[in-house]
Amino acid sequence: MFDSLRKKKSEPAVLSEMLTKQRRYDSLVRALHTDIFRYAFWLCGDKHVAEDITQETFLRAWRSLDSLNDEKAAKAWLITILRRENARRFERKQFDYSDVEQDLLEDVLSTSHEEDTEQYWLRRQIGKLDIEYREPLLLQLIGGFSGEEIATMLELNRNTVMTRLFRARNQLKDALEAPEVRGQSNG
Amino acid sequence: MDDLQFRRHAYGDPNNQADDFLAHLAENEDDAKFVKDLQAFDHKLTQALNISVPDGLADKLILRQQLSQHQKSKKQTRYLMAMAASVAFIVGVSFSLLRFTPVNLGENSLAHVHHETKALVMEQDIGFNDVNFKLASLEGLSDSKFIQQPGRVFYTSYCDFQGVKSLHLVMADENGNKVTLFIVPVESRIVLEEAFADNQYKGQSFQTADAYMVLVGEPASDLEFVKKEVENTFI
Repeated sequence: MFDSLRKKKSEPAVLSEMLTKQRRYDSLVRALHTDIFRYAFWLCGDKHVAEDITQETFLRAWRSLDSLNDEKAAKAWLITILRRENARRFERKQFDYSDVEQDLLEDVLSTSHEEDTEQYWLRRQIGKLDIEYREPLLLQLIGGFSGEEIATMLELNRNTVMTRLFRARNQLKDALEAPEVRGQSNG
Repeated sequence: MDDLQFRRHAYGDPNNQADDFLAHLAENEDDAKFVKDLQAFDHKLTQALNISVPDGLADKLILRQQLSQHQKSKKQTRYLMAMAASVAFIVGVSFSLLRFTPVNLGENSLAHVHHETKALVMEQDIGFNDVNFKLASLEGLSDSKFIQQPGRVFYTSYCDFQGVKSLHLVMADENGNKVTLFIVPVESRIVLEEAFADNQYKGQSFQTADAYMVLVGEPASDLEFVKKEVENTFI
């Protein structure tokens, strides 16, 4: 009875607040869904799983959108949610990791062109990188974060992060330049 | 910057803009070329990482959020409905509890007489069969009736004693003074007051087998006469 009275008074305010929140969310999605999806993909190695994780991440982001004060920190904030989502996935179900990797590679192959063999090759190598090396590299290349920021996000010290970035690039370069591995994989 | 440090920097972030790193590049042509290669490699890596995003992913994300929002508001509506239902329930319970509070017959009768002033100006002449007809529909009084006319009956109607359906009659004493008679079915929560009065009316009540009889009249009226009349004609 009294609810309807109260509602009438505050409805415009609530409505405009909802609209603002909706607008914030929409622009967040449009600006960052590509990066988030790509990050998710390289984290889990499967497009469908990546899409699921992206969905969960943005849904969670919507629910706690009020806690995001600094729009500049949005990407780091989303990636933090995403990493938590991804970890939760492993709590639920233990995947056979190498199998998933294989699936991903088929998937990527089917969408790339013939002339992109080098790219295909690179993707394969990135997928093969240990997660502890892969993740800092993703944060640097997809996220555009500095060593300092990556260290905060992964809760590592900066030197460790730099070492892992070094090793990641080193391994990728080695793999690319080692012809016998290449031949084997192409065959 | 020694070579090891340089390599660490170069591999860690080829696009490093730190002063000493840039200075080192300026001094060492080979290293500068090496870093250029690394930058080109980084470019390739970035290209490789840029996998295609499913069509309409952004729209799907927004859709999913709006669906969940919609469900949330539906849940909220359900919550409000539940609240409203509980309030209605409480109101219902307290209302029926109220109906079980004791009824003071005298007070209620006076209140009725004061309220229904038109009853005392009615000049009908109602036969006892009509009165019996009305009596029959009272709960607990279906077997009671007047066996003959109890003097003139000016007015009759149903009335409500806090939930107890009763009969309201206007009769006359031997001098023609109007006396109101309430016939109330016996009910446990009714409190009988043998005699009562306020500044305008006096009243008395007595009990028959199935009913409480309440008589209300002006101070001058002879309630005893009507009481006898009723006792003689009502079984």
